[in-house]
Amino acid sequence: MNNQWLQKNTFHHSQFGDLARLVELKKRRGVTISLCLPTLNEEKTIAKEIVIMKSELMTRHPLIDEIVVVDSGSQDRTLEIAAQYGADVYTATDILPDLGDYKGKGENLWKALYITHGDIIVYLDADIKNVHHRFVYALVAPLLYYDHIKYCKAFYDRPIAEGDQKLRPTGGGRVTELVVRPLFSLFFPELTQLIQPLSGEYAGYREVFEQIPFPIGYGIETSMILDISEKWGLDVIAQVDLDRRIHRNQSTKALGKMAFVILQTFIKRIADRGRIELHTQLFNEMIQYALQGDDYYPEIYRFAGHERPPMIENPAYRERFNLPEPDGD
Amino acid sequence: MNTCSSVDLEKIPEYVEKIEAIREIIISNIVLLGQIPSPTFKEGHRAKAFLERLTDSHVDEVTADAYNNPIGIIRGTDPAKPPIFLVAHLDTFFDREMIYNFTVGPDTIEGPGLLDNSLGVAVLASMPEIFRALDLQFQSDIVLAGVVQSLGRGNLSGIRHLLKTWATPIRAAVSIEGVEIGRLNYYSDGMIRCEIECTVQGASKFAERNRPNAILILNELINQILSIGVPQRPRSRIVIGQVHAGVTHGRLAQQGIIGLEIHSDAMEMVKELFTQVRDIVSELNQEFDATLHLDIVSSLQAARLKFNHPLVKTAVAVMETLGLKPVSEASESELSIMLARGIPAVTLGITRGENKYRENARAQLAPMYKGIAQVVGVISAMDNGVCDE
Repeated sequence: MNNQWLQKNTFHHSQFGDLARLVELKKRRGVTISLCLPTLNEEKTIAKEIVIMKSELMTRHPLIDEIVVVDSGSQDRTLEIAAQYGADVYTATDILPDLGDYKGKGENLWKALYITHGDIIVYLDADIKNVHHRFVYALVAPLLYYDHIKYCKAFYDRPIAEGDQKLRPTGGGRVTELVVRPLFSLFFPELTQLIQPLSGEYAGYREVFEQIPFPIGYGIETSMILDISEKWGLDVIAQVDLDRRIHRNQSTKALGKMAFVILQTFIKRIADRGRIELHTQLFNEMIQYALQGDDYYPEIYRFAGHERPPMIENPAYRERFNLPEPDGD
Repeated sequence: MNTCSSVDLEKIPEYVEKIEAIREIIISNIVLLGQIPSPTFKEGHRAKAFLERLTDSHVDEVTADAYNNPIGIIRGTDPAKPPIFLVAHLDTFFDREMIYNFTVGPDTIEGPGLLDNSLGVAVLASMPEIFRALDLQFQSDIVLAGVVQSLGRGNLSGIRHLLKTWATPIRAAVSIEGVEIGRLNYYSDGMIRCEIECTVQGASKFAERNRPNAILILNELINQILSIGVPQRPRSRIVIGQVHAGVTHGRLAQQGIIGLEIHSDAMEMVKELFTQVRDIVSELNQEFDATLHLDIVSSLQAARLKFNHPLVKTAVAVMETLGLKPVSEASESELSIMLARGIPAVTLGITRGENKYRENARAQLAPMYKGIAQVVGVISAMDNGVCDE
């Protein structure tokens, strides 16, 4: 397989360490940049992320213009702490409340389009233990350096935190290797060049994000890659090696649910594009079994697979950003 | 210049708010530097990051000496004035095999090595931005030195080398420690730090039941050390601070080690007490079928400023202006080396904290800004000549 894209569009964060240069490029392009942190019970890590980004990329180097937290309904002190350290804090249900309320990361990211102001939006998971400002500036950099790049994803060496203080050197990316990569290999081999298609950190131009649908849950990363590469071509996508990212480990059961949602998202897209023909409707329940005493009990996880339409189709959004009405048929 | 006029005391409380206004930079440095593992002898990554932070703050000169102590120099306005040193040790007690994950909360920061001395290092790295926020310029060069190999077997090698090889006289110095705010160290005891290792030769399984137990031999050693008559004058003490021995519950220990320090404000007494410890070790060596080996890890001369030294009086005034109650006791640290070389110096603590030597060491944020303001006040006094007489 031709891996030209991998050679051409893959970077390492160390290539972009000159922050003064990035600020200059940003000014030259006349763009603004928003950092969005989707949260759900992240009181242990949220302050650290906000403080470092604010200090390094707002105070010292004016690269980002706002830090926005969009929360899915945290029960801990996430929102209070985020506000205390200077982020603009929103609960997802309070944004565009007339459009209903779904729970999920994709929902938060979609609604963030409405409340952020930047021309470029950086989405960063809020559970990164070893957070560093490279997680933001290195994702933004390719967008500022290269005219053709519109969307940039992170990839990592991914050790996993076991317990409080122990490191296991590998084990991240299980869903990628067991689900997404085989699917990409079967249907879109060129997309296998993305080292970690499910990484939760990416940056892109608003004009890209507003034109694609957002699945409300775990399917968001997969759908973004499929939709962006289909609409604009793979060349608008870049990936950046951010070295090490330490995050909390997830159980196989939790990863199973994630895989279920990703499969839903993927199958919907290949069916819509005529790549496969489904002769039956898919079920929307993931069934896992737990042993209690001597008996097995089913644990059922229902996921309807809701997707938000492209934000640009929303009249309130168009009004907020002074966008013209779409052409009628 | 007397102590009252060496620093404008009224200005010091105004610093606190201005320092708090750049709290993100200080906290960010605590996290970014503190999460880099930095055990003694392996401080390289943290030293590199420290230099990067100084470079990023546009410090005039950023370099490392031959011992890999990272150093930044903020040039003063009067080249004739000797430099003022601000020092914090880079090493921590924790090894590299763990996650250095810091948690920032609404009022606290938590993480391994935070209080000794990642927080101190971060404050040192933040000083260029703090001086900028306070619009302060100094006549003297301000030398910001992160020093390596300070703790335990490091034996303060970094600071020893730095001062030994520094070409010009040094006007004065402040050593920064994470905790506790209110400490004012201006004297160091004489000290010998040593380790005593007990090794029992291996034996066949049949003979094992008759073999001596290293733990019991060390227990006898400790009992005999405790029976040494330690005088109150000169003020002296023996601290047994470490014990490691044995492998598992049901096996006789073949090896064990204790670490201890002998302190006194008279070096002669330190030597006399050490001689007694050495004699006990020799005696036990003959008494048991085991080998006891005594190893001196570190030794420091007693050194001090007088309690009425202008620097001490000014530091007290600065602290009291901030509502802090100074507490003085001996400190065997970078301070010892600076005082022994005739450099007027004090050690100051930055904030309050708990669990200092545990993985969940926790520092309070609110007192930190006051702690930094006191450091700035003392440096200003030094720059105005409080130590120049």
